[in-house]
Amino acid sequence: MFKKLFRKDIVLCLAIGSNSNNAEEWAKFAEKQMRGDRSRAEIVMSIKTPNWERTLEIESDVEGKKLALSTIKSPAKEKGIRTLRIENNMWNYFPKLKRKVAVSSSMLLASWMGSDFTNDDILKASSMAEDYSHKFLADLKKGATTYRVIENTAKSDAKVMWPKIITYASPVDCLPREYHYFDKQNKLKRILFLDDIKTFDGHKVPTNWVMQPQDDKNKKTTIHYKNLSFKTNFKSDHFTHKNLTDY
Amino acid sequence: MKSFFCLFILLQSLQGWSQSKIDSEVSGNMEVQGRHSWNNELAKEDLAQNWDEEDFYLVYGNLNGKVKFKNSKLEANLFGRHSRSDLYEAPYLAPIIYTYPNKLVARDVFKLQHIEEGENYRTEYILNKLYYEWDYDENRFMAGRIYINYGLGEVFNPINPFNQPTALTSISQVAQGNDGLNFTFFVNDKYTVDFYFLGDKSLEGYEGQIDRTLWAHGEYQVTNDFQADFVIGEDQNRHKLGGQLEYSFSEAMLFMQTLYQTDYTDDTESHPLWDVLLGYDQQLSNTFHLRGESGYQKQNRYVTAGSINDRFLPIEYFLAIAAQYDIHPLVQLGGTVVNDLKSGFTYFITKNKIDLGHSTEFEIFAYIPLAKGDTIENPAQKLVTTDVGMALRTFF
Repeated sequence: MFKKLFRKDIVLCLAIGSNSNNAEEWAKFAEKQMRGDRSRAEIVMSIKTPNWERTLEIESDVEGKKLALSTIKSPAKEKGIRTLRIENNMWNYFPKLKRKVAVSSSMLLASWMGSDFTNDDILKASSMAEDYSHKFLADLKKGATTYRVIENTAKSDAKVMWPKIITYASPVDCLPREYHYFDKQNKLKRILFLDDIKTFDGHKVPTNWVMQPQDDKNKKTTIHYKNLSFKTNFKSDHFTHKNLTDY
Repeated sequence: MKSFFCLFILLQSLQGWSQSKIDSEVSGNMEVQGRHSWNNELAKEDLAQNWDEEDFYLVYGNLNGKVKFKNSKLEANLFGRHSRSDLYEAPYLAPIIYTYPNKLVARDVFKLQHIEEGENYRTEYILNKLYYEWDYDENRFMAGRIYINYGLGEVFNPINPFNQPTALTSISQVAQGNDGLNFTFFVNDKYTVDFYFLGDKSLEGYEGQIDRTLWAHGEYQVTNDFQADFVIGEDQNRHKLGGQLEYSFSEAMLFMQTLYQTDYTDDTESHPLWDVLLGYDQQLSNTFHLRGESGYQKQNRYVTAGSINDRFLPIEYFLAIAAQYDIHPLVQLGGTVVNDLKSGFTYFITKNKIDLGHSTEFEIFAYIPLAKGDTIENPAQKLVTTDVGMALRTFF
């Protein structure tokens, strides 16, 4: 009896409330917390291999699911390079040469600046809540924590690069701690670990993201959120070609 | 004229300075290159390029400055280049290829450059960009020496005569300046049009008249997947009309360009020219990128055989396949094969970069003609040498 009650406690995620047994609600909740309606983030990205480490600083602006603008702040080699996404269209801008280049949407799956993240990850082109169907799998105990496990399967009409993603979510704050990405052959390709949850403008967000490719475990890419604001009001021309080229 | 230009830029800057919010930035890069070259046997006999093997050294760099006021901006670029080789002694034509683009200001009224040539070296400093920009809600105005950079072609980009592609050259951090005015109208989210009013004295000599360029470039996002560009205008005494179509789908991007040029508008002997380009671009995996460009450029029969000023490769019908593979987060391998479909001439270029950290990278490159082809129609192909080299570049 006590065991059963305890089990219910784990399952009941207070933040989601009475819909906590609905996997879709978990996906929506996580997206709302981590993405919000609009955000401005200052990010430090470290690409690490046993012998090398490379660090980039990025400013990333996102509004809704259709608009994103990222600007590299350092190092000097890439400083000022900007990427604008409007729906599924992308453009890169290289300010030193005043060159704006349309980027094929297939580039969404390209590695972003040699990291283990893709353009899709940085520009938040796909939406876990909208582009995937969700169902709970059996809970999984790892160490002292029992995670809720959600299988996210890409909807047939969704333009996403991962057909299946498995989420391991904390039953305490309902936020994901791991994403496991599977390719078309159902092979695990990479794992994203999330931790160090902090609150920004009422949103709980993991501030350390570590992407671990499964085909080369010697390398990994870490993203650390230095700052994150969900109360930013972007100007009406912020996500436009005019602003993209105004650097 | 030159003094007026500098005074105008200075006055605008002082006016901007008086405004409250100022952002400034200085950046740049520097590169040292060395290469060993083997001459093309055919060039020795037919084009009097009588040398076997030589070394060629090049140092070049950019110093960029930017001062940003509330609604305006001043930008400048100083480009410096020093090259040294015994090939300058004859002089031979190979150094022109190794330092392409040689003409750093495409439409040049003000000169703003210093060139010094010795027995075995050439040094040049050019104020390659110097303009003032006013930014309004829906339009932008620039005056001075500006960069004009549009078009998807990386090997061949005929719709933009103001900035030649450098994908096949060993100089990567350079754009060509253009003297004049630019008005940009951001009509709406989907439609932008640029008008350019440029001058050029390089055709007639700096003491002669200014040749005018009146040019319009528009880009229109027709649907989410489809964009159309047009260009129209008068440039270097020819009327020109062309455009670019670009279609993106989830797997790749297809694009097409065409440009038609009339006879010279004055009495100079000439014939019409036209160019076509078809392009394909695809990211095959998160580390492998593929691009194909194929096209036709009508050869100008009034240009001398050895002329390589207009375009990097003297090829009429061409197919270029470029692949780039990120073998490691810090190591990028790149290779391009260019084939002249008519003559059979085939050229292979490889550039392989290693990121050394701290905004420094090392590159190993090679330029290898794989097949000589029939050079009767394109004798300038005989000038293409075999080169192996390395470069160290740093950014600040």
